[in-house]
This record gives sequence, C-alpha cells and structure tokens, in this order.
Amino acid sequence: MAGTPGELGAAGGRRGDGVGGSAPGGSGAPGVGAPGTDGTSSGSGGRDGAVADPQPAAPVVEGEPGGHPQRTQQPLLFASGLDVVYEPAGAPVVHAVRGVDLSIDPGEMVGLVGESGCGKSTLGYALTRLLRPPARITAGRVVFDGRDVTALDQGRLRTMRHRGFAVVLQSGMNALNPVRTIDGHFADVLRTHRRVRGAAARQVAEELLGHVELAPTVLDRFPHELSGGMRQRVVIALALALQPKLVVFDEPTTALDVLVQRAVMDTIARLQAEVGFSALVISHDLGLVLGTADRAWVMYAGRIVERRESAALAGAPLHPYSAALLACHGDPTADNVQLGGIPGSPPDLSVPPQGCSFAPRCWMKEPVCRNDPPERVIGTGTVACHLAPRKLVVPRALEATVLASTAGGMGVGQNSTDGTATYDGRAALSAGPGPGASDGPALSPGAAAAPDGAAWAVRRRRSLERVEPEALVLQDVVKQFRTARRTGGRAGGRADGAWPGVGRARSSTVRAVDGVSLSLEPGHAVGLVGASGSGKTTLGRMMAGMDRPSSGTIRLGGLRVETMRSRDLPRYWQRVQMVFQDPYAGLNPVHTVGYAIGRALRNHQRLRDDRLRSELHRLLEVVGLTPSGQFSAKLPHQLSGGQRQRVVIARALAAKPQVLVADEPVSMLDVSLRAGILRLLDELRRDTGVSLLYITHDLLSARLVTDHLLVLQKGRVVESGPTASVLRSPSHSYTKQLIEAIPVVA
Amino acid sequence: MWRTGRKLVGTLWADRKARAGASILALFVLVAVLAPVLSPYSPTATSFARSAPASWSHPLGTTGSGQDALSQLLFGTRVSLLVGFGAGLAATSLAMLVGVVAGYVRGPLEVVLGFLTNLFLVIPGVPLMIVLAAYLPSRGVGTVLVVVSVTGWAWGARVLRAQTTTLASREFVAAARMAGEGTWRIVWHEIVPNMVSLLAASFFAASTAAVLAEAALEFLGLGNPATISWGTMLFWAENSNALLTGQWALLVAPGLCIALLASAMSLVNFGIDAIGNPKLRER
Repeated sequence: MAGTPGELGAAGGRRGDGVGGSAPGGSGAPGVGAPGTDGTSSGSGGRDGAVADPQPAAPVVEGEPGGHPQRTQQPLLFASGLDVVYEPAGAPVVHAVRGVDLSIDPGEMVGLVGESGCGKSTLGYALTRLLRPPARITAGRVVFDGRDVTALDQGRLRTMRHRGFAVVLQSGMNALNPVRTIDGHFADVLRTHRRVRGAAARQVAEELLGHVELAPTVLDRFPHELSGGMRQRVVIALALALQPKLVVFDEPTTALDVLVQRAVMDTIARLQAEVGFSALVISHDLGLVLGTADRAWVMYAGRIVERRESAALAGAPLHPYSAALLACHGDPTADNVQLGGIPGSPPDLSVPPQGCSFAPRCWMKEPVCRNDPPERVIGTGTVACHLAPRKLVVPRALEATVLASTAGGMGVGQNSTDGTATYDGRAALSAGPGPGASDGPALSPGAAAAPDGAAWAVRRRRSLERVEPEALVLQDVVKQFRTARRTGGRAGGRADGAWPGVGRARSSTVRAVDGVSLSLEPGHAVGLVGASGSGKTTLGRMMAGMDRPSSGTIRLGGLRVETMRSRDLPRYWQRVQMVFQDPYAGLNPVHTVGYAIGRALRNHQRLRDDRLRSELHRLLEVVGLTPSGQFSAKLPHQLSGGQRQRVVIARALAAKPQVLVADEPVSMLDVSLRAGILRLLDELRRDTGVSLLYITHDLLSARLVTDHLLVLQKGRVVESGPTASVLRSPSHSYTKQLIEAIPVVA
Repeated sequence: MWRTGRKLVGTLWADRKARAGASILALFVLVAVLAPVLSPYSPTATSFARSAPASWSHPLGTTGSGQDALSQLLFGTRVSLLVGFGAGLAATSLAMLVGVVAGYVRGPLEVVLGFLTNLFLVIPGVPLMIVLAAYLPSRGVGTVLVVVSVTGWAWGARVLRAQTTTLASREFVAAARMAGEGTWRIVWHEIVPNMVSLLAASFFAASTAAVLAEAALEFLGLGNPATISWGTMLFWAENSNALLTGQWALLVAPGLCIALLASAMSLVNFGIDAIGNPKLRER
C-alpha cells in the first residue's frame, strides 16, 4: 500500500498544456472539419446522435470558451451550454449548473474544484448521465467520443458506461458487497463485459490490483478485511477493468485519512500517466487537484469561473474566488503563515443570479459586476470576471510568524490581524481592514504577541471572576477498549481442550490512548495532531469529561475526572467545554439557537429571564451572529455550516469555561469558512483567556491557532514542542510523514 | 414540539395518499359524532320486523332481532373509532415509555425491558388476545381496549428503541449533557421531539391493528354482544345466518366500513413515511 512518492512530481508537469501553437486564441477553430483520429469518433453515423461539429457554440466574443484556446486534437468529451436543474417536489427549483461549456482531451487529467453546493458533483454526474430525478439536464449537450450522450437511451448508455467511461465515487469504497470476496467483484465485471472467466479472469484481476499497488492475496479477502484506502484502490481497479477512456473521480480521497489520501492520489496520477485514460478529478480540495491535474477548473454557483493550467493557477489566479480558495492553503512550515477567508456564503441557486454571482462576497467588486461577467481568454486559460487580469490581493484572516527571538516554548508569536497578503512575494501589506471573520463583525484584533505569564494575568480578570484558572493536567492517561472477538474453535480450540467447532469468546484489548501526559496551562493553546485512529479524539473526549480513562489521572484543580460520579460531571463542564466536529449533528434540529444556548446559560450560570436574555445576546454577538435578536429565534436548518459552528461555540462559552476542547471544529466546513471559525477561536483565547485544546489532522490550522503541538501516533505522543519548531524541524519520522502529506500548492 | 407538529401536518397534507386517508378518517369521525342525528332509529330498538330485506325505511334491512341495521352501522362507528384511537394511543404511549427508556438507559433495566419487548413480539397476538379476553372477568369495550393495547405495543417499542439508540449517540445529545441537562430533560426535550413522525406512524399503525383486532374479537363473541359495534354486527349476522337468508348487506356493510377505516389510517401512514424518509417525497 506504499505510495510511489517519486511519481507524483512527474505528474504535475507531465504534459505541456497546449498541444501545438503558442499564440493565445490562435489556430482558429481546430476541431471543425478535422477528421476523427480513430474510427470510433464521429464516424459512427447519425444513428446514435453523432455530432458532426464538436466545437461548442461560442457564447462570448473573445476567443473560445471550453478551455484550450489552442487545440489541435479532437476532444474526447465536450459539453456545451449544459444546464442542470433540481426540481424537488414542494421546493423551489435549484439551478445547479448554468450554461457550462467544457472539453477534455484524450489522455489528460482535469481537476474540477469548488466548495460544497457549487454544482461540481452535479456536473460530473451530468457528463456521465448519472443524474437521477429530481435532477434533469434542461439544455445543452454532452458529446463523448463523437456521440451525444444526452440523447442516448438507457441500453446504449449502459454499453457506453462500460466501454467509455467509469466513475469512482467518494463513497465508492462502501459500494463493495460485504458478503463477496474481492475476487467475486472482479469476476462479475470481467465475465459480463469482457467474457473472461476462470483462471484467466483471476490473472486479469491480479494484474489490475497490481496497478493500484495491491497484492494478489487481496482477491481472497472480504471488503471488511481491507482498510478504507485499500477498498478505494480496489474500486479504482474495478473502474479500470473495462479499459475506460474517461474516468470521473468524485472526491476520491475525501473519506480517507490524510496519509492514505496522498498515497491514493499518487496512485491515480501514476496510473493515469501509464494507462493513458482521461481523468476528471472532482474535489473541494484545491491543493489536491493542483498537485495532480494538468488543468484545473474552478466552479462557483453553477459556472466554471476559471480554467487554467494547474501551475498557472497556483502561481497567479485570475478570479478572486480562485485566489481566495488558494489563500486557504499554505505551507505550515513557512516563516510566515497566513490564512485567507471569504466573508458570506455561497448564493442560493434557486434564485436567478443578478450579474456576477461571486460579487456579493467579492472584496474588490465594482459597479460593472452587476452585469453578467463574460468568459475571457487570458494566456492559455479563461476567466469569468469583469476585472480580470488584475492583481489579486486576498484579505487575510489569520497569520502566524516566527519571531526573531526563538527562545524556549514561547518564542512563537501569533498575530491575528486584519490585513492583506499578496500572492507575489507574500509580503504583508497594510491595506486597511479587510473583512476578516466570515460572517459577522470583526472582533477587536488581538494584538498580543507571545503569551507570557504577565499578559495572561491581565486578561484573566475579564471573564473568570468565579474560579482561579488552573491547569488541566493529564498524567499517564490510558484508554483501553475491549473488543469481544469470537475465535473459531478449529485447530487451536481442540488443542486447548475446547470442543471443536464451538467458538470461544476471547476479548482483545485495544489501547486507543497509551500513557499520555500533558499539561494545558491557562490561556494556552495546545494542538493535538495525528492521523485517524491515532487516539486524538478519544483523548479529547476524556479531557472533556465525556469518557473516563482506564488508568491515569486527569485533573483540573481539585476536580479529578477519573473518579467523578456522573451526576457531578456538570460541575466539571462548568469549567471544561467542548466544540464538536460536526456542526450539523451538534445542534438539535428541533430547537432554536436561543433555546440551545439559553439552556446552557440556565444550567451553568443559573441565569433567568432578562439576565439570561441579555447574556444570550452578548454571546451571539461575541461569536459574530448579529443581529442577535434575529439569530436567537432561528432553527439550525436555517443557518449555514459556519453559522452553526458559531452557535456551537457560543453554547460552549455559555458555561464560561476555562478550557475549550475543539475536536476538528472546521473539518466539516468549506475552506472559505474555516478561517472565520479559527480566527474566532484564536480571538476568544486572547480576549477571554480560555485555554484551547485543538484537535486536528490539518497542520496548517494547528500552526495558526496553537502555540504548543503534540503529535500522536497509535495513542502515544511521539513528538511535542512549540508548534513552529515541531513543524519546521520535525524529529520523528511520523511527524515528517504528516508534513509530507500536505498537498504542495505552487 | 408544536412547531414540528405543525410542519408534520403540512407535509402530510401535501401528500396525495395521506390527504385521501385523512379525508376518509374525518368523515368517520363526523359520522361517529353525529350518529344520533344521522340515525333514522335507535340502534337498540327491536320493534321492527325481523330479518327484513333492504327497503326505503330500512336501507340496509333489519337484524335477526329486529333492529335497524343502518342505525347500528352509524352508531358502531363510535366503538371502532374509540377502540382504534384509544388502543392506538395506549399502545403507542406504552411503546414510547418502554422503547425510549430501553434505548437510552444502560444496565439491567435495558436488558429487562428488551426481554419484555421481545417476549411480547414472539407471542402470537390473536391467540393471546383470545385467551386474555376469555379470562378477563368483565366484558365490554374497556376490556377489548385493554386487550388490544397490551398485545399491540411491542413492535412500536422495538422501533422506537432503535431510533432512540441512534439519536442518543448523536452529538447534540452529548452537547446537551455538557450543557448541564439532566437525563429526563434530554429524553423528553432532545430525543423524543426528533421522533414525532415515528411516533405518529406508530400510533396509526397501532390504531389500524386495534380497529381490526376489535372487530375480530367481537366477531368471535369475545366482546360484549350487547354493544353496538361493527364487530358485534358481524357476530349477530353470522349467528342469524344472514347470508343464507339473502341479507348480505348485514355482513358486507360493517365489513366494508372496517376495511375502509383501516385503509384510511394506512393511507395517512404513507404520508408519514414520506416525512420520515424524504426520498419517498420526490415521487
């Protein structure tokens, strides 16, 4: 399952973009009249809706849309004027894809990037005709290999799917039948569509598994015996079994662990180069796409707003949205790390757009943006922005810099400032206050540098009148889980004197957390990083008093979690609160925001009536949900993900806690909203002196909001120290692996 | 709770099947309430010709003991609805209590309640009903109601228990605990409001079963034969060989009513299914 790190570098610059000619917009309309290079394309007659003119209709004056201005090849797939709508019963019609033109050449890899709800998956489904009601293609056409896919009936479409294109879905690894071996999955496909069976089929299957770096023995295993990454590789191998010309990968690695993610992406890139199929990689992760694809399309509100060669996009984005997405990535090991954020949230696609759909969130909009932006050709790419080739300066939400005096644990300074960062040079400009927090008023910019004892003493007074802040101290904390496993009474059972054939219950224990000691000082922020299964969430839950350690002590002043009775735990929760990972599951759908926060205020602070109401409004304002009166009456489903997470944070603050345990608080949010939440957490720590345990797999955010870092592997702390030092000079191999797994942008 | 309830009714009304079911149900309720007004005679009056065929004065004919069949049918609606809704409510309440507690608490109580539920699930319902009805000292609508409730709660409890277990593992329940909420408050204010559609479905399913069970018990003569209900109408019609004398209306009319009422409740349940499973809503 080891990846092939050497191949990834090759993938990026593997293919030069323009196949011939260098003049932008040159070579006229190359596709027209050019005979198909192979017999199958466009020569198959008009019966299947073959299209004579593969050139998309040009809606714009300047140059051709649909990607390459200079193409000499016949595209493998192209779409023109594609419109997709969702028409659910009893709900407004959502226009998910609007007039998209695109083309994919044989053997090229294209990335499609955008935040949730931008229509990227819908587009991917539309291209492969996988859309199901209530979604429907209302206009435009999709031509694959010379045939209009939108006009095919189900029978022809089926053949087309088998021989033409394959799809690998995010949940694809759960698509394997749990009661059949991997061999069975391959045998089905090969027998039905390639008429290969028996030993020959097995040989083909072994070969396919070899492509995805899996051993032949995997064939005899059941899906549940494989890890998530291995299953996803099996699915990829299955997709390749019929030698497709185009493979659509829809979020192929999103459900996987960080380390596995990288390895699977490497495999995809290598395979694509070797086998030579065309690939469309759909992802919300710009870093991932830029690291592997030749070209990248950025999608926003149902339109492709920018299409460029990956390297060009990474170097100098043309659309403000691409620039903002790019600003959410960074190298956590750099001297100066910044994180950009976009205020507001994506538009409601059931309302027809007025002019540029990004304008409401754009920090450089001008009156001209009220008109629909044309798609302009710039260099070898296109961009749909009125202001196009203009230097883009993204407002910055969070920043961390290494100070000159790197002494001890406190040498890392963190600044949360309103400012701007440019793309070229990465020098911080002071161009006035940008919109920092994602949806709300900016709090007072924390101007504190390194947190030292004296500074904290001052801040403490503001919020913690009740109890003197104390450190949360963990000593040799162990958490064991017992898994009852029934072992078959075959050979071993007989030897033990047990009855043959009768299973014996043998419990095996798993140490999720294995002897962790740490001390979270008041006002400090400690990061807990590690891959999934490293025990970081279990540790966080124990620190939040939701689980009891199997052994060891967790102490906060006089309170000892491991010996507390359940009914005394609320006393602990007055001082330690948790911010949950999933803002969609963390709020009860039937209760208003006011109820959720109000109950916590009532229970923990014993507030009633007017005082409760005023404190509720104060909290909502602290987390940036204004006007607070309006928000307190809202139900969770009326809020965006970012707003929900702010409510979750406000509820945690209602207890006036000394410690906040935040378990991946931004991993479920879109990248553009992450900066706002991280900034809020950072400011809370600075303004109220609450200490923060930040659990994450994302090293960049850890760098931005923590000053101390613990790296967890298999339940043990393998490395710890000041965040910047750990990231910049990691000593443990596991830490190095985690750092290497970050997609490199630019 | 009120808000989700209102939303429930709205979604229900949007569903064609549910609307049809609710309309039929409303009609039955109206008939039950207005039975004294609508009935041409007293249902217990025995002053008419016995076993008379259908005529203008007796559209459904008269029974073997000289009662007006139409009046009996109209008054019979009351018993069916009373037992249906009453037993539905009782069974659902019992199911909620057992199911939610078994789903939320850990320890011996969970095991005991789980065992009890499974026990009632495996005992065949109709024989148990017959045994219970036969041995209970008093016979009447109340007895039938108790018997039907006791035999009808287990399936609902099973479903609600499963739902409670999933809801209890959701993050908002953990968050409520951390917000200082007590167990009772979490169960009634965090978990139960999220099961409204399931409770409603459970209620209508139990009611449907109760309507059928009530008719069955009385048809078998295990109820009080003096009660005026669809079940006893069938009982007496059978006893007086109504089919042999050509009085098929005496059997068909109450039979149709029972079927119609049960169908109406099932139709309402289709709509509730759509609420619980939004995928069904798209069709």
